[in-house]
Amino acid sequence: MKYTPALARLIEALRCLPGVGPKSAQRMAFHLLERDRDGGRRLGQALAEAIESVGHCERCRMLSEERVCPICASESRNAGLLCVVESPADVVAIEQSGGFRGHYFVLMGHLSPLDGVGPAELGLDEFERRLAAGGIAEVILATNPTAEGEATAHYLGEIALRHGLKASRIAHGVPVGGELEYVDGGTLAHALAGRTAVT
Amino acid sequence: MKEARRVWLTPAYVLHHHAYRETSRIVEAFTADHGRLSLFARGAAGPKARLAPLLRPFQRLLLSWSGRGEACRLVDAELDGPAPALPPRRLMSGFYLNELLLKLTVRGDPNPAIFEAYAGTLRALAGDGEEAASLRRFEKRLLGEIGYGLQLTRTGEGRPIEPTMYYRFQPDKGPEACVADAPGAVYGRSLADLADDLLEDPRSLRDAKRVLRAALDACLDGRALATRRIMAGLRPRERG
Repeated sequence: MKYTPALARLIEALRCLPGVGPKSAQRMAFHLLERDRDGGRRLGQALAEAIESVGHCERCRMLSEERVCPICASESRNAGLLCVVESPADVVAIEQSGGFRGHYFVLMGHLSPLDGVGPAELGLDEFERRLAAGGIAEVILATNPTAEGEATAHYLGEIALRHGLKASRIAHGVPVGGELEYVDGGTLAHALAGRTAVT
Repeated sequence: MKEARRVWLTPAYVLHHHAYRETSRIVEAFTADHGRLSLFARGAAGPKARLAPLLRPFQRLLLSWSGRGEACRLVDAELDGPAPALPPRRLMSGFYLNELLLKLTVRGDPNPAIFEAYAGTLRALAGDGEEAASLRRFEKRLLGEIGYGLQLTRTGEGRPIEPTMYYRFQPDKGPEACVADAPGAVYGRSLADLADDLLEDPRSLRDAKRVLRAALDACLDGRALATRRIMAGLRPRERG
């Protein structure tokens, strides 16, 4: 089946979305054109605007159309706590938990030596400048508990300690509502090693 | 002889992994009996992935897969014993071992001796083993197993190595006598120590690194090791 040029371009363009193959892209294109042209128009405008205006916060590297994102600009947050995460999605997840009122630093990845992702790609120079600028009391290392995330946390911790700051690693353990029987051995070992005293 | 369609619970390590689509992974596995191979792990990423916490590097696993050649599908993975995890400060050495295996071993070519050497090196790194010496022993063993064993007891011309003399090591020719301050010169005693896997002496260890690096670079044939570059970028950020 040969599509007309504009339709072919739309289907091809939709395929840049994660998990969207030719079939899904065709379904999306037909839906927008047949049933929801207003939605399609809004999508096109929002996308064009966001692509033009959204960059990275110059302090935490989070996605933001302002030079400094609302979290970094907020007066009510604890500027002494800096939480380092791998991705903007991690910032959103932690914000939704409601348990953290400090600032963030987003690495946009993790050390991945075999893929050539190293200190330059993760903005470790920016991270060092941020620590050197002062005002931070504790760095919370919230990279993922994968081998790559642990390696990343190790070097971030080294940097924080070199700057004379306290560094802490998020706890890994049994998920809330989980059952020990079904937790993998590595997680259980961490949970036992990181046990806390009952007071 | 055709390879079996199904392989059950074979000892393996994950060397590397890539995301594939939203919820799947392609795992580069290193096994004792089937060598290095790519496995397609469907649904091994994301919130509901049972296998996600298992499929991590440096963890000894028992993998089951189906298919042959380039298109094998991971069926199951189990932990193979309570392997101690690498401490975070030694993870980079682990990635380095993985990169050596990825670049210097051939896919689908089983070599149980390399597998055991790798497993032993990870155990040493996870325990109290000396980090640099463990890496050098692995490099030497790997080179020997892939057919690039080091000539350490005689010079290129066949003369025995004198412990108190200096040599320049050339991967294709072997050691060649030189003056002490020649670039790349190593001590005769260091060559003998490397031949016997004795790497406690700081000079022997330093010279072993020089010899092995020259030999590895010759095998890599111009391909750079990304882990080496990244380690060099990270080292100045560590505390003293």
